Amino acid sequence: MKRGGFILVLGLVVAAAAYGCVYLACTSSARSLQRSDKPELAWLKAEFNLSDAEFKRVSDLHVAYLPQCREMCQQIDAQNVQLKKLLAEAPNVTPQIDAALAESARLRTECQRMMLRHFFQVSQTMPPEQGRRYLAWVKEKAFLPDYGMPKE
Amino acid sequence: MKTNEPSNHDEALGKVLKEWRTDASLPPRFQEGVWRRIARVQAPAAPPVWAVIAHWIGTVLPRPALAATYLATLLVIGVTVGWAQGHQQTARVKDELSQRYVRVLDPYLAPRQ
Repeated sequence: MKRGGFILVLGLVVAAAAYGCVYLACTSSARSLQRSDKPELAWLKAEFNLSDAEFKRVSDLHVAYLPQCREMCQQIDAQNVQLKKLLAEAPNVTPQIDAALAESARLRTECQRMMLRHFFQVSQTMPPEQGRRYLAWVKEKAFLPDYGMPKE
Repeated sequence: MKTNEPSNHDEALGKVLKEWRTDASLPPRFQEGVWRRIARVQAPAAPPVWAVIAHWIGTVLPRPALAATYLATLLVIGVTVGWAQGHQQTARVKDELSQRYVRVLDPYLAPRQ
């Protein structure tokens, strides 16, 4: 009974140790991405096999883009506040609401143009094949959102 | 005096039983049913599950071939489950980071301060 019990426990220990070792080995790349300063850029580097030089150029473009994005965020927020205010007050579609809607549409177009420009710049810093893959992926993510609808 | 009484009773009972006659018929397969019930009562009770497991661990598991098979099976299970869950977790993290990359760049999705 003693020997049998030992073998029984040894089997469970072996299973737990095997699970732990393999799990840690399989998740090491994900953990290293999460530990980096900018995990989303670290993911981009790993996903598109960027060299250090390519990654530096992509990071520089990313850093240069962020202030434009923040500026656009502020304009969008201000426009949303104004539109909400107009919609709350007006009983009907007024010329002011028309103008606010047109401005919102203009901002969205401007925003998409700015993003697209950035995506093209980033793709051009990558090796051609990776650049094409990046563009295909990012266009789908940023320009064809599914709005949370389940895909068939 | 007391020792005679039961035998007297037995004799009286025997006499009554010998004289007793009944016309009632037995139910079908009565005798077979009686023997079946006797056999059921006499059959040894099944040992409890824990006793069977303890006996198995004590006598069967230590056999080298079975012990090796048991350890190898648990090793394979550990490796397989670890691999599957590790890959699932890695895929989840990468998906989360890819979405975060897009959110950071899209003013309509970017987190507001």
